[in-house]
Amino acid sequence: MTAVPSAGLAARMVKAELRRTLSVRMWWALLIPVVLLSLSINVFGGVFSSSLSGVGGETPGVLLASLAYSLSLGSVFAAVHGAVQSSGEFRHRTITTTYLTGGRVPVLLARSGVAAAVGALYALGSVAFGLLAGLLGQGSATFPSAGPLLGLIGTGIAVCALWAVLGVAVGTLMTNQAGAVVLLLVYVLAIENVLSLILKSGSGSGLDAGPPAIARITSYLPANAGDVALYDIPAVVLAGPRYGRDAVESLAGVASPPPGWASLVVLALWAGAGIAAAWVVGERRDIT
Amino acid sequence: MHEHTGRITVDGLGKRFGAVEAVRGLGFTVEPGLVTGFLGPNGSGKTTTLRMILGLVAPTSGTALVEGVPFASLDSPGRVVGAVLEAQGFHPARSARRHLRVCAAAIGAPDPRVGEVLGLVGLTADADRRVGGYSLGMKQRLALATALLGDPRILVLDEPGNGLDPAGIAWLRDFLRGFARSGRSVLVSSHQLAEIGQTADRVVVIHRGACVYQGELAGLGGGRRARVLVRCAEPVTLARALVAKGLMEVDTLPDGRLSIGGANAVLVGDTALAAGVAVYGLVEEQMDLEQLFLQLTGGVAG
Ligand SMILES: Nc1ncnc2c1ncn2[C@@H]1O[C@H](COP(=O)(O)OP(=O)(O)O)[C@@H](O)[C@H]1O
Ligand SMILES: [Mg+2]
Repeated sequence: MTAVPSAGLAARMVKAELRRTLSVRMWWALLIPVVLLSLSINVFGGVFSSSLSGVGGETPGVLLASLAYSLSLGSVFAAVHGAVQSSGEFRHRTITTTYLTGGRVPVLLARSGVAAAVGALYALGSVAFGLLAGLLGQGSATFPSAGPLLGLIGTGIAVCALWAVLGVAVGTLMTNQAGAVVLLLVYVLAIENVLSLILKSGSGSGLDAGPPAIARITSYLPANAGDVALYDIPAVVLAGPRYGRDAVESLAGVASPPPGWASLVVLALWAGAGIAAAWVVGERRDIT
Repeated sequence: MHEHTGRITVDGLGKRFGAVEAVRGLGFTVEPGLVTGFLGPNGSGKTTTLRMILGLVAPTSGTALVEGVPFASLDSPGRVVGAVLEAQGFHPARSARRHLRVCAAAIGAPDPRVGEVLGLVGLTADADRRVGGYSLGMKQRLALATALLGDPRILVLDEPGNGLDPAGIAWLRDFLRGFARSGRSVLVSSHQLAEIGQTADRVVVIHRGACVYQGELAGLGGGRRARVLVRCAEPVTLARALVAKGLMEVDTLPDGRLSIGGANAVLVGDTALAAGVAVYGLVEEQMDLEQLFLQLTGGVAG
């Protein structure tokens, strides 16, 4: 038995992690609510056809926007999957065997990769069923043109994959499964919104210079960054290039958002920071 | 430098959990071809030591090397060491076969090996059931199957007798001996001398985290290994007859029985018969590990 090259180690770890993920129901059990949410959001064009006055259901941008909204919710499930997958090892005390059969860092990286793939699958499922529901339910809705649609799908895959990686990081750091899932949900669905409101509260003073720097921070929080990236394309289709930025502001609930690609980079940095922390903490932790 | 010797080298090993000094200044080696027993009462630091050897717990001092390197720097740990530890869990919804297929992929063992180890531990018939429904003994056998997947050169087992029935324990004993005879290493812990006595070639005994004895099993406790307790009609006559046979450790217990150290039941029974003393009860008592620890650590054996 000679030294196995590290490429071989990576392949072994990914194969093991795929088998670990696919041998338990979790991955498709969480895909079900992703699909159901996407169906119900897109069948009526979501909240958008009613909230955006003067924009009818026949505009392809409406369907794109409701697809973006369902992708945003889908990414929460991708994160929950990642967190359950990593913290479950501590809950069921399988982490000992996992670490004995593979190094700690290779396990973390392989887990992140496989969770990202599951996240990508959630994005594809969300878009596929959302499109179907939108075209059937919105009656007069036209099929979005290929460019924006493919752009949105690519962005959705990236956002869901990155949130899955963040979920793996949170689950590895916290180890308590219920705690990790609750923290993720409460943060994404409540804390970040409250934080955004507080940060933006100073910007209502009617200054022509635009929102103060502190309000701009809202775009750089992880859930908002994902939303900015997702709404970037639908907003331009809906409101035109000139007012697209304003549409993103109201859709994502942020102030002065950066371009969509930059928001993806911001989210990737959050995911990277999460994995770096999980790497440092996980490598030193005593498994007793 | 990683050498394929199957040797474990522990040197000056220590671990502190906050105020608790779980292991201190521990040093021993595990040699290929032998079963090394790792003995100590509950809480003496056995599990902590084994987990430090396996890279699961970071030592606060000293080193624990597997084939000359720390466990974490082994290229293919599953092919070098197989381990059965306490508190090693399984996902309840995964079947034994699926669990083993996950581990086989990680180790780089071929998939047919899964069927082999299932057969080896006698789990073939239950292989596709969810592990959540397994008994403790079945889980213990699955843990052993997992440890054997990579056909390792070293086996580390932490109190493997827990949860096994007597037949399972006997099977495990034979298995471990055969494993060692094939030139590989076994390190097996227990808090019961009797459980390891028939298996181990060497023992390392720890007490409160420190080594109190290591070496041949036979060297443990010397002549005080066993005593015979006898209830008879004429204790004084029997005591004289025993002393005449050269047995010097004859005492009278408060309950009137005689205690004969360094003897066995056959010798005492024969002596009583020859002396014409009626025997009402005869008990052969192995010194238990607690007494042994007290002796080894300088206390008074009860
Ligand atoms: N994670 C931990 N945190 C604090 N103390 C611990 C931890 N693990 C073990 N200990 C303590 O270390 C000592 C040795 O424990 P252990 O190695 O489990 O002994 P054994 O396996 O011989 O029963 C005990 O006092 C135990 O309470
Ligand atoms: Mg123990």
